[in-house]
Amino acid sequence: MTNMTLWLRWSWRDLRARWLQVVAISIIIALGSAMFAGLGGVEDWRIRANDLNYARLNMYDLRMALSDGSYLDRDELASALADIPGVARSEARLVTPTLVDASDGGEALVVRGEIVGVDVSDGGPHVSSLYVREGAGRTLAEGDSGQPVAMVEYHFADYYDLAPGDPIRISGDVALDYVGTGFSPEYFMIIPETGMFFGESSFAVIFVPLETAQQLAGREGLVNDVAFILDEDADSASVQAAIEARMEGAFPSTGYAINAREDTQVYTTLYKDAESDQWMFNALATLFLFGAAMGAFNLAGRMVEAQRREIGIGMALGVPRRWLAFRPLLVGLQIAVLGTALGLLAGLGVGKLFQGVLEDMMPLPYWEFSFQFGGFLRAAVFGILLPVVATLIPVWRAVRVAPVDAITTGYLVAKGGGLARFVQRLPLPGKSFVHMPVKNVLRSPWRSGLTVLAIAIAVLIMTTVVGALDTFLATMQQAEDATLNRAADRFLVNLDFFYAANYSGVTGIESLAGADGEPLFTGFETAMIVGGWLIHGDEKIEIALELHDMDAALWTPTATEGALTADEPGLVISDKAARDLGVGVGDRITLEHPHREGLLSFRLVQTEVPVIGIHDNPLRAYTYMDMNGAALMGLEGQTNYLILNPAPGVEPDEVRLALLTQPGVTSSQAVTEFSDAVDELLEMMTEILAVAQGMVVVMAFLIAFNTTSISVDERVREIATMFAFGLRIRTVMRMQMLENLVIGVLGTIVGVALGWIVLNDLFVTVGENEIPDIGFVVTMSAETILLAALLGVVLVGLTPLVSIRRMRNMDIPSTLRVME
Amino acid sequence: MIRLEHVAKRYKMGEVVVTALDDVSLEVDKGEFLVVLGPSGSGKTTLLNIIGALDEPTSGEVHINGGTVSLNSTGDRFRFRRETVSFIFQTFNLFPSLTALENVQFVLDMANTSDSTERARDVLASVGLGERVNHFPHELSGGEQQRVAIARALATGNPILLADEPTGELDFKTGIQILDLLAHQAGDGKTVLVVTHNREISRIADRVVELSSGHIISDGPPRTGKAAIADLQW
Repeated sequence: MTNMTLWLRWSWRDLRARWLQVVAISIIIALGSAMFAGLGGVEDWRIRANDLNYARLNMYDLRMALSDGSYLDRDELASALADIPGVARSEARLVTPTLVDASDGGEALVVRGEIVGVDVSDGGPHVSSLYVREGAGRTLAEGDSGQPVAMVEYHFADYYDLAPGDPIRISGDVALDYVGTGFSPEYFMIIPETGMFFGESSFAVIFVPLETAQQLAGREGLVNDVAFILDEDADSASVQAAIEARMEGAFPSTGYAINAREDTQVYTTLYKDAESDQWMFNALATLFLFGAAMGAFNLAGRMVEAQRREIGIGMALGVPRRWLAFRPLLVGLQIAVLGTALGLLAGLGVGKLFQGVLEDMMPLPYWEFSFQFGGFLRAAVFGILLPVVATLIPVWRAVRVAPVDAITTGYLVAKGGGLARFVQRLPLPGKSFVHMPVKNVLRSPWRSGLTVLAIAIAVLIMTTVVGALDTFLATMQQAEDATLNRAADRFLVNLDFFYAANYSGVTGIESLAGADGEPLFTGFETAMIVGGWLIHGDEKIEIALELHDMDAALWTPTATEGALTADEPGLVISDKAARDLGVGVGDRITLEHPHREGLLSFRLVQTEVPVIGIHDNPLRAYTYMDMNGAALMGLEGQTNYLILNPAPGVEPDEVRLALLTQPGVTSSQAVTEFSDAVDELLEMMTEILAVAQGMVVVMAFLIAFNTTSISVDERVREIATMFAFGLRIRTVMRMQMLENLVIGVLGTIVGVALGWIVLNDLFVTVGENEIPDIGFVVTMSAETILLAALLGVVLVGLTPLVSIRRMRNMDIPSTLRVME
Repeated sequence: MIRLEHVAKRYKMGEVVVTALDDVSLEVDKGEFLVVLGPSGSGKTTLLNIIGALDEPTSGEVHINGGTVSLNSTGDRFRFRRETVSFIFQTFNLFPSLTALENVQFVLDMANTSDSTERARDVLASVGLGERVNHFPHELSGGEQQRVAIARALATGNPILLADEPTGELDFKTGIQILDLLAHQAGDGKTVLVVTHNREISRIADRVVELSSGHIISDGPPRTGKAAIADLQW
């Protein structure tokens, strides 16, 4: 019994006898292990990269941004904030919105953007430093101060394949000398105000020396932003309090907001995303391994059943149970080791591949990919453990059988009908050929149940992954419908400041004409947009508040509850905001908004206002108020936001180029650009999800194949008997397919149901934490369910066809002999 | 009605060629009760399998009712087994997830018999299992299972019954009952071939063909004359 060579040789024969099933299970184990190994360290890589880049590029710890429209003298501000305990370094900036024209002779390329004026003295900026890769030009130098020299932020430049030397113009048709493409830690991701991801195609950040920014904005000597780096041991809250005290003392009528780096959406997205993505990879890998474990369970069950007499003979010879169990366990271990070894090898490749994906999708100056021993160890442990444990259960049961039962052959073996008796009472249509597959499913309810579960897991993964895409699409469609319900061609134009609605610079835009002398616009509306917060209880939500004359506006939101106007200024908020704040129409909430204190100073104040309506846009930030609310901000009769309807035949590029020449215009955007951005994002997500879908299809096929081949193995004598009685191969095949269809239908139903639950949980729980700004419309489309049915029913149902050759070549007489 | 002409069957097992049957020629008339007798490895099961088109001869021909079975296509052999021969196995080979009734109904459905349930019931009653039709095989004794197997073989009315060691798993008394059923079928005009190693069983046959090492060593009535089933002892 201690002759290991004999046991290994014996188990090798067992493996060879079932090599197809062994390979199938090993592949599933390999898939799961590869995911654990290759992707098990993604979170670590990303967090290390985040930490490294923030450290090397001197990301600020605190940032103070003055309220929209507020500016302070640089020297006065520096003096007021000098020598604050805990502050290691601070630098003032000027950040102003602008239009950016990167057109190069061909198609017009005009997008929104911002100019960031940074202190380039003494090799700066030293807070939120700039980094230029080799071959991408140069960073800003002290000698550039006051000159129209610019560095373009990497994401925008990379998206449109721009290079130093390419033409760059900003609002007012001002040309800049594009000297380098670079990174700033504040812009490792470009996320527009609406919270949409990957805004790099529609938002350009241009870095210029501070003095240059001041000249371009007509704000010489002024700044509106300060970034701080704190001492290692400084207490952030104390430093913030100190800054506030200084500001209160020196500039009491100027509003500002202080945020820590951890409060920024880019920072939280970078870190939280890493965590949630890792969770998803681990969950997928675990599901794959679980599917493999069930395959191993099925195979082990079949093997010990086939070896039952041998086990009985061993018992009769006095072989201890642990040695009887050794042979099938050894097979289980070998399958697990084989699959895991393949998986670990594949994991190296998967990891390498994903490193490339990470570098492409999240371009950062520095990446360090260390070998993730933990991930590989986890893969090895789970990859081996789960299938071995799964094998243990049927083996343990087999060696617990009484010896006399184990050694009994043929008809004397009590093979119960399971639940088949219950089917007898059902009036099933058709001949016994139809009843038998159903009864076969019910005969072994435990094993059938496990197979159903395995199929359900494959369907669950697929419906969750594709359902996530459905949900995103449905949500964005709803957002698009909400914004395009009327005046779908309109342009949204931001101005750099608040102007009187009858100011010539504003009315001049209305009367802009095209090259043919005809007016460019048939519709013109002066509106207002400000940033703010909604507060109710402990909840605080950042919003973009638009004020329109609701009776005369070119476009208004659709109120699904309440109204757009009321006797007093009131808010029309999104349904997501209403749910998050726990309010409804009629409730009063606190609106934190800018209030004009002086020509160039705004202060944030809080006003209690009623919620008068709920609109249908799922993007939480969108909030609306009638223009009569401008009085709350001290901005009656003012505008900083124009809505324009192009005349028939006027192209969007013509509008953009015309607006580019208008001083004060900081951005112009066709409202349809939202859909374009969504389409791009969807295309990228679809490509990623296609890989996951492919893996799931492979897994489902392997599970179904494994199940079918085990089923054929188990019933080979029944099948041979049917052939002996002249039943055609195709009839037997149809019975097998029907049995698989039953399993597949049950597995699909369970899988779709579980997928729906997981999808809801994902978007309600994970979505709330990770992407609170979007009210997802959880959806599983009919196409997704159809795809699940194709996978779980059709593919599984057709799997018996792979056994057709085996059936055709069956040696009927040999098979009909007592097979043990 | 069954005619074998110089039938041989050889298997290659690694480097060794095993001759299961060697130049066997045989004729069986309609309604004959024939026992093929021989020790283990004599080729008797191989002979049965070739007659039943479960296996193909290496050489020679098999003619049944004028047709040449050994030259048929796979499809024709399947049809032959549906319409001409019926098997009864030593280990019964019933379908475990079907009741006794359904096991018999199965072959009737295969033959597109319109009143398969009633017919199955009748056949089971004829073999003494009228009260056990709704039981699964694991709920039946060995003898009852073999009766179900016989009922299944009789249901379609195929003219030839091929039984491979039909009493091998049964006790003496049960075995006698099974043999009695088979003998009655021969009396009703079916051709019955029974393969066995039990010489005692051969005493009830019309004719005994004895095989040894793939050859027919004797072919004729039972040595001690045809006995009644009640006289058998083993």
